[in-house]
Amino acid sequence: MPGILTPSGDSSSIIPYSPEPNTPTLYTLHHDLKPPITPRISISWSRGNSLRVTLFRPLTTSIDDEPGGKVVDLKLSGEDVDTEINDAARWRRIAYGSVSPFAHLQNKKNAMAALSELRHSAPYDGEWSKYVLEYSKEINSLLGSKKTSLPSLIEDPKTVLKNVEEPSSLKAGWELLEIFYANKQSHPWIPEQLVDWLSDYDALFSGQMPSVHLRLVEFQADLINIQAVENEPAYWQAISSALAVGWLDIVVKLLRLHGSYQLNQLGTRETENGLVEAVAVLVSKMPRMRANLPSGKLGECYNNKSDFMRAWEKWRAQITKLDCSAFWLQCSHNQTKESLKNLLQILLGNTGTLSSATCNWVELYMAHFLYIRPFTSGLESMYVLAQKCIQLKPASSLHKLMRLMLGILEENTEVVLAECSRSFGPWMIAHATELLTAGSVEAEILLKEERDNLGGISIEESHRLVYAQVLSSHALTWQIAPIYLISCVKHGVGLLEILLYKQPAYHSQVLLKNIEICRMYDLDNVSSNAMKIAGVHHWKHGRKGAGVFWLQQARDEIRLNRIAQKLFDFVGKSISDESFEQWEGLIELLGSESRTAGGLEFLHKYRDFKRSLQQIRDGVLNDAARKAGDALILLMKNPSTPQRFWLPLLFDSLKLLNWQERPLLNVSQTNLLLNKLQELSVARLRPDFVEVGLPPQALSSVRLALATNLGRAILEE
Amino acid sequence: MEKSMATLEKGTICSSWNYCSLRLATGLVDGTIVIFDTSDPASSSFTSTFKFKVSDERVIKVVWAPPEYGDAIACICSDGSLSIWEEAAEDSENVQWKQCACFGGPMDEILDGQFGNSMSTLKLTIAYSNGLVKVYEILDSMELNNWQLQAEFQNVTDSVAKFGKASCSSASISWNPQRSDDRPACFVLGFKSDTPQLNSPKVWEFDQDHQRWLPVAELAEPDDKGIHVYTLAWAPNIGRPYELIAVATSNGISIWQMASMPDPSGRLSVEKVAMFPCHDNEVWQMEWDMSGMTLATSGTDGRVRLWQSNLKGVWHEQAVIEPAT
Amino acid sequence: MVYVCKLRYSSVGLIDGFRLPSALCARRVFRVDFRYWVTPDPRLYSFRCQKIKCNLEVHLLHPKTLTMAIETLKHLTILPQSTYIDALRFLPPLSALDRYIVSASFNSDSDEASISIHSFNTTNSPSLTLQSSFPSSSRVTSLKVAQKSLQNPLIAASTITGSIHILFPNPIDASFQSEVSVPEKTLHLGSVSCLDLQENGSECVSVGEDGRVNLISVGDSALDYRRVFDSKGLVSYTAARWASPTEFATGGLGNALQWWDLRRAGGPVSQFKGNWAQGATSGIVHSIDIHPSRKHTCVAGGSFGSVFAWDLRRPQQPIVLSGIDNGETATCISESDVWEVQYDTFTSASDHTNLSSKGVLPVMICSEDGILAVLKQAEEPAELLAENCAINCFDIDRQNPSDVICSLEWESIGLLTRA
Repeated sequence: MPGILTPSGDSSSIIPYSPEPNTPTLYTLHHDLKPPITPRISISWSRGNSLRVTLFRPLTTSIDDEPGGKVVDLKLSGEDVDTEINDAARWRRIAYGSVSPFAHLQNKKNAMAALSELRHSAPYDGEWSKYVLEYSKEINSLLGSKKTSLPSLIEDPKTVLKNVEEPSSLKAGWELLEIFYANKQSHPWIPEQLVDWLSDYDALFSGQMPSVHLRLVEFQADLINIQAVENEPAYWQAISSALAVGWLDIVVKLLRLHGSYQLNQLGTRETENGLVEAVAVLVSKMPRMRANLPSGKLGECYNNKSDFMRAWEKWRAQITKLDCSAFWLQCSHNQTKESLKNLLQILLGNTGTLSSATCNWVELYMAHFLYIRPFTSGLESMYVLAQKCIQLKPASSLHKLMRLMLGILEENTEVVLAECSRSFGPWMIAHATELLTAGSVEAEILLKEERDNLGGISIEESHRLVYAQVLSSHALTWQIAPIYLISCVKHGVGLLEILLYKQPAYHSQVLLKNIEICRMYDLDNVSSNAMKIAGVHHWKHGRKGAGVFWLQQARDEIRLNRIAQKLFDFVGKSISDESFEQWEGLIELLGSESRTAGGLEFLHKYRDFKRSLQQIRDGVLNDAARKAGDALILLMKNPSTPQRFWLPLLFDSLKLLNWQERPLLNVSQTNLLLNKLQELSVARLRPDFVEVGLPPQALSSVRLALATNLGRAILEE
Repeated sequence: MEKSMATLEKGTICSSWNYCSLRLATGLVDGTIVIFDTSDPASSSFTSTFKFKVSDERVIKVVWAPPEYGDAIACICSDGSLSIWEEAAEDSENVQWKQCACFGGPMDEILDGQFGNSMSTLKLTIAYSNGLVKVYEILDSMELNNWQLQAEFQNVTDSVAKFGKASCSSASISWNPQRSDDRPACFVLGFKSDTPQLNSPKVWEFDQDHQRWLPVAELAEPDDKGIHVYTLAWAPNIGRPYELIAVATSNGISIWQMASMPDPSGRLSVEKVAMFPCHDNEVWQMEWDMSGMTLATSGTDGRVRLWQSNLKGVWHEQAVIEPAT
Repeated sequence: MVYVCKLRYSSVGLIDGFRLPSALCARRVFRVDFRYWVTPDPRLYSFRCQKIKCNLEVHLLHPKTLTMAIETLKHLTILPQSTYIDALRFLPPLSALDRYIVSASFNSDSDEASISIHSFNTTNSPSLTLQSSFPSSSRVTSLKVAQKSLQNPLIAASTITGSIHILFPNPIDASFQSEVSVPEKTLHLGSVSCLDLQENGSECVSVGEDGRVNLISVGDSALDYRRVFDSKGLVSYTAARWASPTEFATGGLGNALQWWDLRRAGGPVSQFKGNWAQGATSGIVHSIDIHPSRKHTCVAGGSFGSVFAWDLRRPQQPIVLSGIDNGETATCISESDVWEVQYDTFTSASDHTNLSSKGVLPVMICSEDGILAVLKQAEEPAELLAENCAINCFDIDRQNPSDVICSLEWESIGLLTRA
């Protein structure tokens, strides 16, 4: 998608110039057509980034049952980037859930911008980072529940790792960003936060490289078959690995599986047991440079540097003391002795021991934080340390979370963006930009600068547009795309208008939801166009009432006038027969909306007129005739009566004009009609005059009747 | 991530989706049109709902009319005719497809036809094999059977020059997709013909004041003006200060930027921003996505290619889609 | 000071040197921190905006209203589904112990529509357990349930392709015992927009945009049907509701309501055309309800948040319960489509003393802008939910009127208990 950034060493340019463009990705399109298929492929974009591909089979004379082709819908770079979350319904749930935090944050942002404008001062950063953290936590909670691998007391003591919900790397990625960018208050505790992060997500590395998690899983599988664990190198290896990455609860739990704890052994292995327990106690008393620990986790917390320093020195002194203790000599179990000593080396921060206890550089990195450099702070020194760990434990290929972490440590926004986009997809990047911009000024400038190369939009906007495209391509998520599009100040509305236009307006439900969105964002022209499309569709598909209704809503005078003419013919034809009843409802609908009905107002009056004429025919005489006469005058006076209807109206009224008993129209009324007739004769000379299908003598017979009526009226007056 | 949507009838050779991608019209070799629909807007399984014969010749192209004018298609057949068919129910009859109008034929062969998107009226541009372009306009917005010839011209920038006896084998028309009456109606047209002057893509704009069409830009460099144009695609513009038009010629695919506003001479300045040679691959179709950010092309190599611009504004081939064999 | 208010504004603009937030949450009720507003008192702000005639309107929900709403809602659980819920109903009790709901859903991944029965567990954390599922040929547009006296309940569903299905659930395991149906293209051209079952389940009326009104007699093994009326597309119907064994009401475009009597053929016996909305754009009736004890009054909900009652005895003047541009008489709970209206038996039972016999009984509504609320004549509405997405339908449990279920646009079901 546009906006994909490629990592580069030169941080001043976004994309390194390369004369050879990147090789395009190759997709293989699956279809169940039997070969051969023709090379001619028809393509059409649907909404968003869904591409409809039509494949044809060649025209062969052979008779087989194969169809002539297939249409396949291809969603490009959508929700499937993160292959761990391949459940479309779950993806939609994340998409729905992120709307509200995103929208609230945008509102807050606008409100704060307004406030700072008002006070002519920069907004207060502290307040803002509070909102960003709130936002980050809300998004984080959507990505899955917090993984806990904490063993409880009641359960099987041999279950070291609990089976919990598979952690997602999406959540892991988001938490990394949160730790570094959103959670500013906790910056002094970043190392400890990373230790926690690894304990939640170390399992994610297992698929791609060795990890402590994998080691523990393998050991746990073997555990049930092992009689005396302390004789197994795997047992000690598991303990030292868990200790190196700071999973103290697991270490203590494993240590207590040691054979010397068994009741029948206590007597003979007293010292040994004492040493094991001493190590276990030391492990559980480890000072931690953090505010608090979740329940079940071990260690002692210190949230100020000097207290921690004191405790740390004291603790290390205890370890050294134990290390030099004479009890070791009394320990007869050699493997226990060696391994416990090894654990002490880990606690004392022996680089070599830590390196051999951990499986990859991130684990070694955490071990450094825990046992060697608990005060590491500042991204620069953290980055140097990370580089050192990579040198000590080189990996052939880096996991995407590792790449993301390195990008963050390197303070290279472009790499972070590229990793978010490449590894986690459009959802991640659209939402993560808020964290990035809150994280650093450099990132904010990079993301918000308007670029000519992007058609005048910023990188942030381009990512939102891309995500909106993903939302647009699904029938259930397109309705939330407007929220993201509206936050795109430059191109958002343009894309929103196209998205709304591409909705099937002739489906009532879709149309109504469409109108609601248009109402929200004041897109009146878009909604009236949708109503117009619906109106024309209904009208042409035999639903005349719905057609007129929607065209009225769209205030489409031109089409309504055309319809009025059609209806005129229709009503004129059917007025006498019983089907007239059916028109009542439609005419009712037209009646009250005279303002928008255009020529249809005329139809309403015409209906009344025709009805009176009908009554005359039925024998209800004088009174009806007078009413009909009045209706005729009203119609002829009314400017909304189209000129082409004048003659048919008068022709229909011949009986009224020639009324036997007495003239129904007075002199002025008759003169009005005569004037209209005169006007009509003049109009007939113009080239654009539309002739109506009446007998050729119609005009002359009307004129004769009017003249007669005028004569009689003069006499009567 | 692909999903099968519809299975086509034997002998299908072309297809076209309507404005909301919820109706599919396919053309068959025996002159039949098959329409596919879904039962509801969220569904993606299409079944055939209408089948009718529009010609005895093969249907080579189907184009949907803008939805403001109903559900209608224009079918271009191999005999050079273009017929307009509309779905309607008349006087309590069932819904059916009826022919409304027909243009061209064996003596007056049509190569391409495209509907415009002006909000107030429906225009239809037709390109003929003799190198002529005709623009028709609808007379009654509720009827598709009354068309008036509004203009007739040749695809040349010099209005004085006339070229008789041109012989064109294909033409491509692409309207500016923006549906607005604020901007004049505008389309781009190119030919594949034996008359070099006709070939290069020219942008035509309707001059409302004088009721005439004017060439406002030419999308060709001086030395390849006579090159054969296979197909053209005008990108939707959601806010860029310039227009983007993709041109496929025998030299390859090129992407042009065109100014939205004319210079003092009334011309729109153009710039070729990308050129991709396509060896032995004749581009058949080009489509822009709704944001105008991605261009999809298909050609004689049997592959679909996606083209995008990166953050530096450099266009590149993003992906290749190849049907499994 | 944090106020809860409902805002409607449309564009980012400057008023009095103050920029309005973008229209992100415009449709929804949400909390606004007024520390960031020019005017400390939002009421003042609202007043000033109205004077400038900008696009912003601030409706302050009375703090009292809010507390009331919170108090009345005892429990809310939103259960995400992986399908879009087209309709849902409480099922009349199959057995003494179990409670069931029936839902019509659409799976957009597999393109399958189905009607399912879920058992409804109300213990500490309410949940739904799928009991049985019936595949529907296409999406359901309307779902109703009824119970013949001392017999098993039955479910009626209409589809977007025009078919009608009557399902008989098995009381023992809540499976679908049998089904009778009328295939598509028989009753309607195209979609059935609404159907309604009589209280005893013996007859069903269906209406459509094609302008047909059909009557379906429900038998155990087959359905008989006849056409009551065919407007041949000149009038479209969008809602229907029985009033008595021989009378029913329909609603349609232009806020029109029609009253039908099966004893009088040939067309509606009475029509109501809402011309009270002068100036406002005309709307569509989406839902009608008629109270069994007051069958002369139809309550209808439709476009632009309009909810009104039509008293057959005073046919010219509707009683407006909610809507825009209606002067000072009624409040406006929502400005978008009201998808469903139902008389609220719970509220009326708890404070029936307050209700004069002349007034309209309390009505529950749900709307496109995510509101679920109870409207009372001449009172402030009590809001139960203000969600971020549309509430497309709801149902009140007849047996336990304090329980309400609703379906949310974002593929989830809400279970509510009122105190």
